[in-house]
Order: sequence, then C-alpha cells, then structure tokens
Amino acid sequence: MAALALAAPGLMAAEVDVDYQRDIRPVLAKKCFACHGPDEHARQMNLRLDTHAGATGAGGGYKGIVPGDSAASRVVARITDERRPMPPTGPGLTPGEVALIRKWIDAGAKYTAHWSFQKPVRPEVPMSAEAGGNEIDTFVRARLRQESLAASPEADAATLARRAALDLTGLPPEPAALKQYLGDPSPAGYERFVDQLLASPAYGERWARVWLDLARYADTQGYEKDNKRTIWPYRDWVIRALNDNMPFDRFTIEQLAGDLLPGAGESQLIATGFHRNTMTNTEGGTDDEEFRDAAVKDRVAVTGQVWMGLTIGCAQCHTHKYDPISHEEFYRFYSYFNQTADHDQPNDAPVLKLAGDTSTLILRELAGDKRRVTRIHQRGNFLDPGQEVSPGVPAAFHALPKGAPANRLGLAQWLVSKENPLTARVMVNRLWARLFGTGLVETEEDFGTQGAAPTHPQLLDWLAVEFMDRGWDVKAILKTMVMSATYRQSSAADAGLLEKDPRNRLLARGPRVRLDAEMVRDQALAVSGLLSKKMYGAPVMPWQPEGIWLVVYSGDKWETSEGEDRYRRGLYTFLRRSSPYPSMITYDAPTGEVCTIRRIRTNTPLQALASLNDPVSMEAAQRLARWAIEDIKGNEKSRIEAMFRRVLVRDPVKAETSRILSLYRDAAKELKSSGDAPGKLLHYDQTLYTGDREVLLVADARTAAREWRFMANDDGTAPGADWFQPGFDASQWRTGKGQFAWYKKPPEDSKIATEWHTSNIWLRIEFDVPEGSLEDVQLHVRTAGMFESYVNGVRAAQSPIDRGSYYEYLISDEAAATLKPGKNVLAIHATHIREKDSGQVIDASLRALRPMQFDKRKVDAKRAAWVVVANTLLNLDETLSRR
Amino acid sequence: MHMDLLDATRRHFLRNCSLGLAGMFVAEAATENPLAPKKPPLPAKAKSVIYLHMAGSPSQLDLFDYKPELVKYNGQPCPQHLLEGKRFAFIKGVPNMLGTPFQFKQHGQSGGWVSELLPHTAGVVDDLCVIRSMTTDQFNHAPAQLFLHTGNPRFGAAAMGSWATYGLGSENQDLPGFVVLVGGGNNPDAGKSLWGSGFLPSVYQGVQCRTQGDPVLYLSDPEGMTRSLRRKTLDAARDLNQIQNQESGDPETLARIAQYELAYRMQVSVPEVMDISKEPAATHQMYGSEPGAPPNSQASFANNCLLARRLVEKGVRFVQLFQWGWDHHGVSRREDIRYDLPVRTRNIDQPIAALIRDLKQRGLLEQTLVVWGGEFGRTPMRENRGGSYGSFVGRDHHPYGFTIWMAGGGVKPGLNYGSTDDIGYYAAENKVTVRDLQATVLHQLGLDPFRFSYPYQGLNQRLIGPTAEGRVLKDVLA
Repeated sequence: MAALALAAPGLMAAEVDVDYQRDIRPVLAKKCFACHGPDEHARQMNLRLDTHAGATGAGGGYKGIVPGDSAASRVVARITDERRPMPPTGPGLTPGEVALIRKWIDAGAKYTAHWSFQKPVRPEVPMSAEAGGNEIDTFVRARLRQESLAASPEADAATLARRAALDLTGLPPEPAALKQYLGDPSPAGYERFVDQLLASPAYGERWARVWLDLARYADTQGYEKDNKRTIWPYRDWVIRALNDNMPFDRFTIEQLAGDLLPGAGESQLIATGFHRNTMTNTEGGTDDEEFRDAAVKDRVAVTGQVWMGLTIGCAQCHTHKYDPISHEEFYRFYSYFNQTADHDQPNDAPVLKLAGDTSTLILRELAGDKRRVTRIHQRGNFLDPGQEVSPGVPAAFHALPKGAPANRLGLAQWLVSKENPLTARVMVNRLWARLFGTGLVETEEDFGTQGAAPTHPQLLDWLAVEFMDRGWDVKAILKTMVMSATYRQSSAADAGLLEKDPRNRLLARGPRVRLDAEMVRDQALAVSGLLSKKMYGAPVMPWQPEGIWLVVYSGDKWETSEGEDRYRRGLYTFLRRSSPYPSMITYDAPTGEVCTIRRIRTNTPLQALASLNDPVSMEAAQRLARWAIEDIKGNEKSRIEAMFRRVLVRDPVKAETSRILSLYRDAAKELKSSGDAPGKLLHYDQTLYTGDREVLLVADARTAAREWRFMANDDGTAPGADWFQPGFDASQWRTGKGQFAWYKKPPEDSKIATEWHTSNIWLRIEFDVPEGSLEDVQLHVRTAGMFESYVNGVRAAQSPIDRGSYYEYLISDEAAATLKPGKNVLAIHATHIREKDSGQVIDASLRALRPMQFDKRKVDAKRAAWVVVANTLLNLDETLSRR
Repeated sequence: MHMDLLDATRRHFLRNCSLGLAGMFVAEAATENPLAPKKPPLPAKAKSVIYLHMAGSPSQLDLFDYKPELVKYNGQPCPQHLLEGKRFAFIKGVPNMLGTPFQFKQHGQSGGWVSELLPHTAGVVDDLCVIRSMTTDQFNHAPAQLFLHTGNPRFGAAAMGSWATYGLGSENQDLPGFVVLVGGGNNPDAGKSLWGSGFLPSVYQGVQCRTQGDPVLYLSDPEGMTRSLRRKTLDAARDLNQIQNQESGDPETLARIAQYELAYRMQVSVPEVMDISKEPAATHQMYGSEPGAPPNSQASFANNCLLARRLVEKGVRFVQLFQWGWDHHGVSRREDIRYDLPVRTRNIDQPIAALIRDLKQRGLLEQTLVVWGGEFGRTPMRENRGGSYGSFVGRDHHPYGFTIWMAGGGVKPGLNYGSTDDIGYYAAENKVTVRDLQATVLHQLGLDPFRFSYPYQGLNQRLIGPTAEGRVLKDVLA
C-alpha cells in the first residue's frame, strides 16, 4: 500500500485540476443520476446531470449548473440546503464532494470523455539530452526526472542477449547468433542480433502463444464430454501470419471476417478459427440454441476485450454500469456474430476440408434466407427475447467507416479504423506488457472507466499512433521497444529504488519477471539439446503422469508421442480443456476455457515440485549432464562453467563456481554409497520410455490374439467357486480368441473374434513367464462394462466403470508376486454389460517390464553427480526468470 | 470489498487516489505468503469444510425424500401440468411416475426419513441437518456442478475452496489449503475446473491429492535422487539464489527460496497425511477403509473419508471429495436404480457415518462443516429415453427439488428442513437455492458472502454471483 501511495501523486502529477471523469462523475453517478441521469422515465424536474447540455439547460430543460459560477448554480444550493438537501434519500454528499463539485463548476464545469475513448494524437516528444535511446526513452526519462529518479545503466551484452531472445522467440539465444553478438556488442551489433531474432521462425511460435491465450485456443470442445476437435490449422495460421509480419489490421480482419473477404482463400477461412474456439456442448439433452447463444455472447465479449479492452460482456444482462455501452448496443454488436452457420453441433460444423484427412473449424455466414433475427435478451436470458435490433456499434464511439458492409467485415474494419481510439492502444500495451512484465495500463483487459490509468499516457499514445502510422507493423513496434534504452537497462535494483517503486512502474530499471509456462519447458529442452525444432501440425503428447485423463464416457487416452514429438515446444502440447497438461497450468498457463487477456503470475510450491521433478526437467538435466561429461574437456571447473553458460548465458562469478563445485563433490561422495542411484540418474529416460524393456506375457487382439477358455451366461452364476484358481479344470469350457464382443454397430477399431452377448463371461488363459526378474506388471483391458481379474488365483485388478478403449491397470503387488518362470494363469470375470442396443466387449493383455539395464562401465558416482548439478542449475530463480 | 484481506495478501490493491478515482490494481509482487492464516471478518462457526459431492446426482427419492403418494402413482402417466414448459435432459413425451422400490423408515430423535439403502447414515441422522427442499437453475451435469462449486454455470469462476483459502488462508503451511480427493474411477463431469481458482490467483486452486501414484503431482523425487541429495540441491540452489539476489534485489527470488523449502517439507508432510496405514484397526473397521486400495475400488471412498478427517485435523481449510457414478438414468444395468444405486450407497454409507462419528468424538465436528449432495436431483418420473421403456429403471435430471445435508460447523443437528410436494416434484416448504447454500457455507467460515469479493472485469466478483441473490439460511444455524 505504502509504495503505491508514494507513486500515486506522481501518477497524477499532470492532472491536479478537478477532472470530470475522475472526480465528479463517480459522485454524480452514485447520488444523482438515478433521478437526474440518462433514464428519461425516471427523470425528475426535467434535470439531467450526465451531459453538459442537460445540466446547463441548453437542451431546454431545467438549468441546474451555471458554468463558472457555483454560487449561482441551483444544484449547489440544493445539495447544500440545510433543511432538505438533495438527494432526498440515502446518504448525502460529503463536504469534500461538495467542495469538489464547486471547484469543478467554478472551473467551467467541463464534461470530458474518458481518456481512452478519445482518439490518440501523436504527442510531442519531450526533449531529452541523453544519447543512445529512442523516443520511448524521452517519455520515460521525463517522468523519471519528475520523480527525481535516474535510469539504470545498460545491462551487459550476455544478459541482454538472453532477455531479448526469450522475449522475442521464447527460447534462449542460438549459440551462433550469441557468439556473433558478444563479439560485437555495439548498438549496431545489438540491432543485428534483434533483427535475427525477429526473423527467426521461433518468433512466430512465441507470439502465437500470446495470441492463442486471447483466442481461448484448445484441442477439445469443452464442457462435460470435452471431445477432441481439430483446430490446430488455425494455430499454425497464427504462427505463419506472425512470422510473415502480417499487418495487424489485416491480421484482425482475416480472423474476424476472413470468410467475407472477396475471393477468400483457404488461408482466410482457416483464420476465422479464432472465433470457432468457443466451446461446444455435446452433453445429452442440452439445448443447442442455449450453447450457440453462449458461444455468440463469448465472441462479442472476447472481441470487445481483445481489440478494445472493453468489458462489453457486462452489458449482456443490463446497460453497462460504468462504460458507455447500453444493453441494446450489446445486442446490436451481438447481431454481427449472430449470422454464422455453426450451432453447437457435436461435429463442430461447419468445417473446411484441408489436404489429407484434416478438417478445421471455420466461420460461415448464413445465406440471406437463413439469417437470424436478433432481439435483445432480457436480463441476458436467451429464452426471454425483447425488441428486435439491427447490427451497429456503440454510439459513444466513432462511426462505421464509409462503405463498411453491415456484417462482421464491416465490424472488423471499424475495429482497425484509425478513428478507433482503443485498438492500437490496447495492442501496443499488450506487446509492452509481454516485454516489460506489466502494461503501461496495468489492467490490459479493461481500458474503460474502471480500468487503471496509464503510468505514461503520452508514451502509450505515441506508441499507438506510431503503430498505426507504420502500417500496423507488429515487428517494427516490437523492435522499437526492445531497441529502447529503457528496455536495455539492467534489472538490478537497490533498496532505495525497490522501496520507492517496488513494481517498476516508473521504469527506472529493466524488467525482471518469471518465465511463462511454455518458456520454462522450452528453455530446459533447448539448453540441454533435446528441443525439436519441428514446426506446425497436429498437437503432440509429451510424457505426462498417469491418471490425469480420466474422461467420462470416452475412450480418449493420452498416448505418449514417439521420437522428437516428445520434445516439441510447449505450444504444440495437446490441450484438453478439462484436463490440461499439468506442469503448464502449475505455471499459470490458461486452460482455453475462457479468453485470458493476461496471465497472473504466481509463485507456489507446486511450481517448485514441477521444476524439480517433472520428467521434462529431469530428462533435460540428464542430457545436459551427458553433454558436460562427453563434450567438455578439462577439469571439473571447466565443466561447471560450460554448463552454467549453457543454462544462464553468462559466466559464473567465482562464488558461484565454488558453490557448484562443492555441490558436485558432495553429491559424488554421497552417490558412491547410494547403491543403484547413479545408474538411475544417468538413465533417467529409461524410467519414462519403457517400450524396449516390455515383455508381452499375454497378447490381446491389437497384436496377436491368443486363445482363451471361456464360459458365458446370463444369470451370473460362476462356473465353480474356484474358477479363478490355477488348479481349476477348465477343459469343459469353450475356446475362443479376443475380442469377445457383440455390437449393434461395431466401432471402427473393433476386432471381434468370438461372439459374446450374455451379461456375464468368465475367461482363463495359461501363459509362460520367462526367466529373470520383471517389474511394473500391467493388465490392459478393453471393456464396456466391469471386470475383475486374478493372476495365479490372487486378485490382480478390477474396474467398476465403463472405459471406451484399452486401459492400463497396474496389478496388485500380491498378484505380481505370484508370477514365476514357467506356467501361470490369468482369469477374468466381466459383467455389468451395457443395454442391448449398443454393444459389449472384453479383451485383455498382460505385460511386464524388464529391470533397467546399465552399461556398468559408464555408471559411476562422479558422472551421476553431474545430473544433480544440472537439475540444480535448471531450478535457479535466475533460470526461471528473464532479467 | 474486504480491505483487511486485500491488505493482508498484498496481491491486490484497491487504489483509492486521494482525489477520488477508484481503480483496481492487481499487483504481482508476492513477498508475503498469500496462504498465511487470516482472521475471519465475522465470528466463524467453522474452521474447515468437508464437501462430499456425489457426482452424477443421487436420487433423493430413493434415499431421503420419502413419497408414499408417488409409490401409489407408480407406473401411471405423469400429469401434463408437470411437463408443460419443462426441459429435461432425456425424457421425451409423457413418462410414467416412478415410486421408490426401497423401504423407508424414520430414525433417531429427529425422526428423519432415510431409506434402507443408507442404514449407517440413518444411525447418525440426529447429527445431520437434512434439507429436502434444495433447488438449482441447471439441469446438465457440467453446468450444474460449476454453478454449485464456482457460482457460475460457465467456466472461468473460482471454486468455493479457492474462495475459502483466499479469504482465510490455511492453518497448515506444510499442506495445501484446498485439497481435492476424487473417487469412483472418473473425474466429475466438469473436470478440474471445479477446483480451479478461476479469476483468483492460481495459488488458491485446489490441489488434487491422489491415492495412487504421487499423492501430489511431481511430489516424489526422481529415481536415484535420494532425500539427502535433494536437500543438497536445495541448499546449493538457495545459496546461488542468494548470491544473485544480492545483485538483483528482487524480492521474488526470496519468495522462490521459501516456496522450494515448502515444497521440500510437503514431500514429507503430504505422504505422511495421505498414509492411512498407521491408523488403528478399529478406525479402519469403522470406516471400512483399506490402506493401499486402488482409486477405483470399493474401499476408495472410505479411504477418502478417512483422509478428509486427517486433513482437517491437520488444519487444511477445505477438503473437496468427488465420488463419481450416481447418474442413474436406467439405460443399462450399470445405470439402473435397482441394481446399481445399492452398489453406490454401499460404498458411501458406512464411511460417511464413520466420518461424522469420528469428527464428533475428536471434537472436530463443531468446527468442521460437512456438506453432502449432488449437483441436482432426479425426477419422480421414470426416464423413457427415446420415448419408450426397456428393461432397466432410472430417473432423469431434476433441478426443482432434491436433498442435501449438512452437519457440524454451527449447523443445527437433527433438523429436518424444508420439503417437497406430495410426489417430490417441487420444493414446497422453505425452498433453498444454490446461492443460499453458498452464502451459508461462507457465513459459517466467518466470511460475509455479500461483501467478500474480488475485482475482475469491472465487477466485484462474488461466489454468490454479481446480483447477490443468496441469503444465509438462519433457520438451520444453531
């Protein structure tokens, strides 16, 4: 509190006069507008105080205010009346409020519009003697001088290289580019380095992730079933558009109305996926119109927030309480989005067929005769329609551009019109916030009257006008920001500066912020050499802990990707809205359920656990250690320095090197007497990817179905009390291969070998176990009902619920302990089938893992200690931050 | 706006400039522990909450809401006036009425009606406040669950447990303040959003503790990383972070050191509290719990109930249990009221009674509010999916009247509150809404449901919604 209070007078320094928006309107709104405001039905005495004309009687009404003369103003007399002061009910005005109103009237009773609703004009650049900066710095320094603060010196080249690379590409700097820049750390050398970053394909991936937060992008439909959907071509469109530096006005128009552009091609249609990222509810019995309406309302709210920083969604139930958006205007805006063909269908129609088997979700405008009538929804309820409305934009803003069509295309043109007071401001503020950690307007999501005031209003306007004047060139405006001396400052802060400006709102130092979730992952993969540079395509499934996806009524499974797809950048990770990738949400990544304008960064113990123990982090540590062992010649110190440089892009100071050296020696000493711990650390990946250690004890229909003995009936009577015991004689049972099944309409992937349509089935199979030890014995079962299972007569695994696909169950320790070389018996009883009009299935396999095999010569405590060192380096605060 | 709270967390500021502009700032510098315990603004009756949610929604008409009239009309067509203007998830045309096939009896001093499916619960009925007039606005699972737990049928709002920890912090800094236990083999329909922090900072999101695998994700050190090696890495990281901090001066670095230390303590404290194997045999007998039972087994709900008691005993603020499998539509044997409802109730009955008794004998019940219920109720009509009847029997979703119960935490024990009409269709007497329930839970924790809010998107967001429709159920408070 203290810190902001200190900063606040400064923030207001330029505005010491009474301001209508800031000081007067809130008081009038609370205490006067109910009877003297916009609502003409409630108006008393024909006096209206929310407009200049109304208050002064210029519109023919009661003359309440005489500008410049508070003593002559009836309003002042009434609010200070000793016997019956206005307002007649509720708390009256405080003496302070009365004084403010007097002061405001005496100064001319100026009614001003909210700052952000007025078109930005290019401010004069304050003169500044300091060299080595650009226009941004003149604004920042002018403000610093007011506060008697000095800018910080420039950060060293290595720090700057890491900062700019993470900011612009989301990755640490490429070794070659880094070397070149460190060889020439002049301003020209820095500029060349920045240009390389902006030209890197990784740039598009980094900034696509920023945009996908806004687009509420995800790979599933949301709601209860949350089935998969294919909309990744839209994600790829965003990456390409950003890498091609598509001007932001075109970027806007193609996404909001690409389908309405003359001669729209495949690319423009894919772009409309932006608003097809709304959720689809396929839960039984839902009203499609209810959820179509929810999607349309979401599109209205998201459009308002993303482009104009307006909380327009607040007006869906009633006229906005603070900003000039009426209830009717919400539905006029709504009607632009109310004419698309999608209507909450399970197949997500309409889709666009692309090459191969891919189809992606797009917007399609309804044909003339199918167009919907839009009505106001009273209290926001779609079942309670009111008067009909036509498309239009809120009256408090600029008019639609000349010749703009009355559809989404016209609306998109309106958003990126140079008359729009908000779009450019909101976008440059967003870019600024991603670089500096906080926007010039902190409330990126709200530029309305309830939002925060900009810390540097003139700088914001200069950037906004510059952005538009340079043809909405995103890369150019980003370059201007990162070339500024303000950006290049060191982020170090002494106690005095920290106390005066703890949150760096005055920009007397460089940004120091924690990395985004995707960067934490991508950086670990990049510095260890694991990162795949593969771009685009279907989302991937890197390793995630078991049991995260337990999805009702669906066979969807997390199938760990193969090969380099395990090591792709975070933005390619499959995002299921109801079950997002756990380490990502731990680090504050969004779920895609709603539009996320800015991620609120937190600092939690769960993040510590994820970075210490997440397999991605550990695999990176293992790989980094291997690199240090195999590729770095020299003594322990040179290995430490090399690893440190890889992770932190700078040389360690002496104290750091010696602390790491003592960790290394301690760890090596301890590992010497820690049994197989060194082998496990050095072969960590083998604990995750077990394919080549797997032993198939009983195969199922997916590979080579084996023959089972089985009995089936409808009354549920077991074929003998000891039917599951190894010694039971099942020679009278029938024989058959899996899958045992019956379907009314077999699913595409079914492999029926034996017909089964009773309510109960008992299955037995003998299998051989090879010599040598086994671990992690798993039963894979496909069933549409319930089952129980036994290995050698001991209960192994069971499930009380339906699963739609083969599902893995770890068998009980007791059952696993009975496995012995030679003959063994697996017995299964399946029951609780589905009703007769869908189908049923049972099939199973049994697998186990061989213990990990190490090359004994390469396993030693000293080598393993490097994994410990690498794990530590990847968890430093500096590693997890950009400074 | 609740100022102490905001001051205390230092994460959020109401910036009220001396000249009168009110603007909301969301600050980031988290130098103080946002989960530190905070004094509730109102006198608190409950320190903790255990919320037992039966995902899918059990049939109140077969468990708590006895309707002999409905039994009389069993098999007769549903009167038209009960169908007009109604939307059902699956019922089409004119369904038949469905009386309960189970026997009911009155129990205890309070004379509460409980069916034969819940004999153990019937034994503790004098400790419960049974509300038979509950209603909701939603009739599909995911929106109804979201509405109940986050106050908004759409995604993006904050869970009740997040609100509780945001308002009150946690009494135990070595454990998460808001713990979620999921049973029955599936996540609830609305998924992890039910314990998401929504617009609140993610530090307040529920932490799912699992009974198989790592109890908290990534809790175990990797194979080969011994406990003492882990200590060494944290010591080294701390020293290296401090070297950096001397230069950068960023308080966030010190906060990170503290969070890594907390993580290290959690690696011990979480498995310890999750390990029920050292509980005495008598306790296991009472609950029906089995240490090590897999998450989809019979005993998993018993294990979760026992865990819930252990967690609140350790000072965890909010324990949320989800038990899946109550969506008895009657389209298969698995969803048949006659066959499967007894299976589900057998899983929960003894553990719930044990939980109430156990909390009581430890003196924890008076400071722990226990809530039981589904996201809505089930129809007095038999579901006729596709317009006809097959061989199985079930009921459709029903938002107009159902049963929940509360116990402990300053709620009147042995109270039968509210009722439905003769056939159990509408809440008739003392109708209770989801907003009322939410307001009451917050009130018992010492939070003012009408003032306790968080600024987001231009509104003061509240658990009970933007228009504050709820009321505290004074009638049920002791």
